[in-house]
Amino acid sequence: MIKKHIKSLNLFSIISIISAILIMMALINMFSNILSPPSDTWYHIKNYLLAEYLKNTFILIFFTGLLSGFLGFMSAYIVTFYEFKGRKLFSWILILPLALPSYIAAFIYSDMFSYTGIFSRTLRSIGINKYIDIMSISGAIVIFSFTLYPYVYMLVKSSLSKNSSLFIENAKLLKAKPLRIFTKIVLPLTRPALFGGVLLVLLETLNDYGVVRYFGVRVFSYAIFDSWFRLGDLTSAVRLSAIVLIIVFILVNLEKILRGRKKYTANVKTKPIIKKQVNRYFEILIIAFLSIIILVGFGIPVTQMIFNFVRTYQVIFELEMIYIIINTVTISLFATVLTVFISVMIINYSRLSNSKLTRAVLRITSIGYAIPGAVIAVSVLIFFVDVDNLLYPIYKLIDGDSKKLVLTTSLAMLTFAYVIRFLTISFNSVESIYDKVGIKYTEAAYTLKSSKLRTLFKIDIPLIKEGLIAAFIIVFIDVIKELPLTLILRPTNYDTIATRVYTYANDEMIQEASGPALIIILICTLMIYYVTHRKRGGKNVR
Amino acid sequence: MKKILLFLSVFTTMVILTGCTLGTSEGDNTVTVYSERHYDTDQLLFDQFEQETGIKVNVVKASADELINKLETEGEDTSADLLIISDAGRLHLAKEKDLLQSISSETLEDNIPSNYQDADNQWFGLTKRARVLVYHPDRVSVDELSTYESLLDSKWANRIVVRSGSNIYNQSLIASFIAINGEEETRTFINGLVNNFSRDPEGNDRDQAKAVMAGIADIAIMNTYYMGKMANSSDPYEVEVANKLKVFFPNQETTGTHINISAAGVTKHSENKENAIKLIEFLSSIEAQSTFANANYEYPVNPNVEPADLLKSWGDFIAQDINLTQLGVYSSQAAIIMDEEGWK
Repeated sequence: MIKKHIKSLNLFSIISIISAILIMMALINMFSNILSPPSDTWYHIKNYLLAEYLKNTFILIFFTGLLSGFLGFMSAYIVTFYEFKGRKLFSWILILPLALPSYIAAFIYSDMFSYTGIFSRTLRSIGINKYIDIMSISGAIVIFSFTLYPYVYMLVKSSLSKNSSLFIENAKLLKAKPLRIFTKIVLPLTRPALFGGVLLVLLETLNDYGVVRYFGVRVFSYAIFDSWFRLGDLTSAVRLSAIVLIIVFILVNLEKILRGRKKYTANVKTKPIIKKQVNRYFEILIIAFLSIIILVGFGIPVTQMIFNFVRTYQVIFELEMIYIIINTVTISLFATVLTVFISVMIINYSRLSNSKLTRAVLRITSIGYAIPGAVIAVSVLIFFVDVDNLLYPIYKLIDGDSKKLVLTTSLAMLTFAYVIRFLTISFNSVESIYDKVGIKYTEAAYTLKSSKLRTLFKIDIPLIKEGLIAAFIIVFIDVIKELPLTLILRPTNYDTIATRVYTYANDEMIQEASGPALIIILICTLMIYYVTHRKRGGKNVR
Repeated sequence: MKKILLFLSVFTTMVILTGCTLGTSEGDNTVTVYSERHYDTDQLLFDQFEQETGIKVNVVKASADELINKLETEGEDTSADLLIISDAGRLHLAKEKDLLQSISSETLEDNIPSNYQDADNQWFGLTKRARVLVYHPDRVSVDELSTYESLLDSKWANRIVVRSGSNIYNQSLIASFIAINGEEETRTFINGLVNNFSRDPEGNDRDQAKAVMAGIADIAIMNTYYMGKMANSSDPYEVEVANKLKVFFPNQETTGTHINISAAGVTKHSENKENAIKLIEFLSSIEAQSTFANANYEYPVNPNVEPADLLKSWGDFIAQDINLTQLGVYSSQAAIIMDEEGWK
């Protein structure tokens, strides 16, 4: 028995298990709170607030899921199956809204719709004295859907172009009707990608605090902060987090339950899809549809921000800003590579051996995305202080005057927290592509006595490259936009661009916040551009 | 295999490098500030302090609650020397959690009036903000306004806006009412006020002013600070709003207008206590107080410093006559009754 375990020790399992143990230890002090008896504050929350939180949360995730799923799926479908003017351009700029953090979109849009904003001014100038209030739950749904749908778009598009061409052609040969092809082939094949994308959108939505606080929409993330900070009760905050965890657990497994035992792995040779030429009217319709999506999710707010920036440009033209940008890019790159690396290790570990242990490792390491940033931050902080206490004798040995809190005051803590927080995202993209590739090539390589590492580099990584790149962009963009963890866990005098944006936005200075926010958007845009325009074997990926 | 080894070794070196360089950044002649205030003005003053004294100021900025949590967790190993927070209630909380220490400084006693100091000298106020009524002069005549309590009158139905009850400024406002009028009266007040709201609370303080301008409501309850900021905004349309709307200081004949302060306290485990005291003293000096007043539109606590011209143009006012520690004492009670009376 032991022998068997030792034999199964390899790079994958060691890194996976160590990661799982570290994450579990970091989060355990938070969960131990659940066991303590409910406080008076909890009864207060239950009596006065819980029903509203539940109702709002369900409305928010249901409609955001629906709308973002629709936008993401439709745009991916159009770009994959039709040929029209500007298709190539659309196929990458449809990802751009991801570069715009939802909370910034919320600030910019509510400013534009406020009394002093361009929309209300225009309306007034043509004599309509009406005021559109977007600071509501429907406003939040629209903001989340239009800034987050690219998660769905990217996953569905890669899934469509990867595996449907042969099936569709065969179906066409067999004279299947378009609707039937759609419902019987396209939908089932892209279902994991569609659900995976929507899931990412919903997890982001559940975690957001900026938009819902500003709009006054009382959902769970709002509630967690509120009970922790305003009511001063961490225990209740953790209880509420536990409810969120249950919701997330249901969401994560919903697709698996719906899918049942069916597996749609298509191991067919990829072949470019023959795109359908569309007639003039349909072309205009398509272009209008896609343009609206991009304008709402990116063009309009970014234009407004550029106007704001022109008024306040001096904010970012200072030497300090260069350091801040270097800081931000360095830590984001580092944390992203680490996150993607660990996720590949864990996924390899889990797909090669399916034991209780692997399932536990998977579950533990993917919990982080469900817990609000600030709660993770506090857990990680407590954990690092403990670790530093433990390591203090060693520090003293190296340097007699060493301070006690060495790791806690370093960037290691923040990086660790980023990894916990974003592992799930990386998992999702890497896993969905592994699902598609299947395991037989890997197994064949093992049968041929190729080592695990060699197989990973020679077989797996080339096969899953697209998934890795997708994981890399998504995680990088998430890290660069991240706020609560960065605010709490960063070392002294350490600023990132996002913390700069927060500084101004929190002081209700949207104009001044626009400059640094544009830098985030620019960096993310460049990333997206690079990745989508990378030459692959002499031909463009798009 | 080579590839992965290279990869791993680069990783480890990076981790170690970042860990070491940042872990040893603490010099001797420094002061580390945990601050909720994130204004360019503050940074300017810190730089000035550095130039005058040679003491380097390190800053960590986050929300008050996050900083208090961080201090608590770090315990005696914290690198923080000074905690600066823009709400007296939260400072009181830090004091109750035993995170601050008493200090004695004649300069501070001279510069800062006693009701803006903690009774045990654990924190000292730096700037003041008043929570006032902002109204549209075309729709509200100044004679109609008198007290916060008069807003319960049915003639104000659907005419009042204010931001969310979970906002700390509102929580402290209600805490001050509990301190002055007791819980029962305060409940009646909240309940009546909520009935007169013209919409569910949303947005920040500036948004309330804009809502009044847009005709959604006629009166906004908000901080003077944001009126000052709007009057000097980089957005010309915000300036227009600030110029059109009027500020009214309520309760002048009765209990006084509610004020809150930004204040600083030396942390219990500070290793640079002397430097920290020097920094507070500097911030309370006439020079620094004038900067606060003129660049950040806050009322100075130092009675020898005049407020900015804009603030003076709104007129003098009498503030609530309570020690601001009371805001902390009644803070959680305020939060609970606001929920119960339906202030979202």
